[in-house]
Amino acid sequence: MKTRPLQSLLRRLLISEYFVLYLTIVMFTGAALIFPQVGLSNTLGLPFNISNQFLNMWPLLAVAVGQTFVLIVGGIDLSQGSIMAITSVVGAMVMSSALDPAMFDRSPFWGTLMRPEGGVLSGSPLAAPVGVLLMLALGIGIGFFNGFVITRFRIAPFMATLVSMIFFSALALWITQSRNIPSLPEDFIRLGTGDIVSVYLGEKTESTIPRREIFSAIAYPTVIAFALAIFGSFLLNRTALGRHMFAIGTNRRSAHISGVPTNRVIILVYMFSGFCAAVSAILYSARLGIGQPSLGNNLLLDIVGAVVIGGTSLFGGKGSIKGTVFGVAFFVLLLNVLNAARLSPFIIDAVKGGIILLAALLDVTRTRLVGQEGQL
Amino acid sequence: MHKNSKFIAGLAFTALLTAIPFTQAQAGLRICFGFQDLETEFWVAGHLAITQTLREQGVEVLEYNANEDPNRQLEQVRECIAQGVDGIIIIPQDGDSAVTIVKEAQANDIPIAVFNRPPNDRSSGIVVVADNVSATEQAVEFMAQQALVKWQVTGKTIQPLILVGALQDTNAIGRRDGFFNVINRYNEAYPGMFAEPIEVATEWDAATALANLEAAITANPDVDFIFTSSDFLFPTIRSVLEPRGKWVPRGNPNHVFMGGLDGDATACMLIEQGFVDATGVQDLFLEAELTLNALLEAIQAGQTRPNEVLLDPGFALTAANIQFNRNDMWGCVLYDQGFLDK
Repeated sequence: MKTRPLQSLLRRLLISEYFVLYLTIVMFTGAALIFPQVGLSNTLGLPFNISNQFLNMWPLLAVAVGQTFVLIVGGIDLSQGSIMAITSVVGAMVMSSALDPAMFDRSPFWGTLMRPEGGVLSGSPLAAPVGVLLMLALGIGIGFFNGFVITRFRIAPFMATLVSMIFFSALALWITQSRNIPSLPEDFIRLGTGDIVSVYLGEKTESTIPRREIFSAIAYPTVIAFALAIFGSFLLNRTALGRHMFAIGTNRRSAHISGVPTNRVIILVYMFSGFCAAVSAILYSARLGIGQPSLGNNLLLDIVGAVVIGGTSLFGGKGSIKGTVFGVAFFVLLLNVLNAARLSPFIIDAVKGGIILLAALLDVTRTRLVGQEGQL
Repeated sequence: MHKNSKFIAGLAFTALLTAIPFTQAQAGLRICFGFQDLETEFWVAGHLAITQTLREQGVEVLEYNANEDPNRQLEQVRECIAQGVDGIIIIPQDGDSAVTIVKEAQANDIPIAVFNRPPNDRSSGIVVVADNVSATEQAVEFMAQQALVKWQVTGKTIQPLILVGALQDTNAIGRRDGFFNVINRYNEAYPGMFAEPIEVATEWDAATALANLEAAITANPDVDFIFTSSDFLFPTIRSVLEPRGKWVPRGNPNHVFMGGLDGDATACMLIEQGFVDATGVQDLFLEAELTLNALLEAIQAGQTRPNEVLLDPGFALTAANIQFNRNDMWGCVLYDQGFLDK
């Protein structure tokens, strides 16, 4: 049967693994071109705005990489938000250089790990590196706990990680008595806010350049999140572990019979998810300069949404880090476009939900077309 | 958002236009207004008072709802900076994140004002804040005077309970401090009058407050003195006390001395009906006026980093003075105009 050129082009676009990227580019550039024509200010294409949107992407990307791994093995990690909260609090508790007794004297650790002069590493040059390592170790540890409970006791991932989510959120609140932990070291804060390469576009006619005309091109969060994504992609595509993950996600029983160490792989995947959540907690905590017991509370739907939009299946066996990068970009830029459209903040989430549904429907169509191509 | 928001908008706006002399703004200004979920009458009225007054003056208002996520609010403020707005007003989620957000705006030469929920470091930005300690002390003082009479007559120790807000919010801390100041003062003057207060965490969330209050009242059925750190929890308190026969007006022997803080329409009605004894009032209209005037003046003067603290002293509306002071309380203005009937 003959197909018309336009239909053929659309079909090729839809089945491309870069579909979400194309969708994101069309949405963003389309809005940037159309908005000024309908009387809205043209700010989407400004370098400062684009730089900002990238900065918003990195912490979300870090945690989404971990969720991608979990979804590929057919699981789900609801505890990522609470891992972010507890790692943020514990890291800050160790690193803080001053704690107000009026705020923290009801904490169970007051007088031992928390004192008026700060945490146990207060003022030490090792505070930031040890704090970061502790946060990562804790994230990995909670991930191990999740994976162990899921594999050893055959508890559904949804239930096991739901329990972790509730427990560790409550633990973070209990430790801090619901208060943010301030006074973090500058070395740590730089991880969330520091620029490695900043750019100024324009003539230099005055002795000083206003801060808002200098935008971040490469920041510490850029490097950290990118490194994590590349590492994740390498694990997924170039190692036996990655192949095992896809096998488990496609059919766990068959994978087990084929000799895949399913339990070990699943535990490793949840450990990696915890590690990614801890990395994200480092980026979020550093840029606000506080350990936050409510960190990640509202983030789970954004994480899972971005990963699924990026083409990772909720049923396992399908997904890629590249797709997750595109999904996160779509999520972040969609919000930027909706804000620039001057929609009421009270309906933005509803519109966002509708557009995500549309994107998901396109993805379903795309998957069907890919399946048909495979049968030809 | 509150289902009666449009109605409140009309009322708040009408009240503002008649009550507040605003600095005349230049048309063409763009101001970014970042807030959290509007879960209480106070925030709904405050949000609408600010946005509609600015728009009435020809100012373009860019609104951002951070959904109680300080990281999201930081991202939104950066977006405002990227858009080159003339000024920023925020209602932050907590005093710690507010410090970072104010720094970010000032580093980019955008004047910023913080409405009602102050940063822990008040040296930067325009900070408009209610004196929570004073307003709470005034309300709890009235409650304590009533309780003193009961204690002197019956000799029975009064069991106080406080519903505490999210303690990373300096407003919540101030209200807790004000409550304890009065309790401690009375215990020094009248040893044995008050038992050790019970603290119930609410996290500014009605569901959390309900669960924790149920547990606290079940464990301590003799509670007869309740202070809520925000008036929006009075319906929650009622749902716990009513089945136990303790939701009764003044004069009934089972009456629980009750007070709060905010000064909303529900509190006004309950004081009038006798169920609540006092509430500390934040003067919403004054705070909105102070915020807008200070920010617009800074913009007009070309100041990019204005720093000042503007204080709303607050006052207590009590069963004894409601007849005379009701028109000063924003909640009573709404109540009198039929807000609770809609």
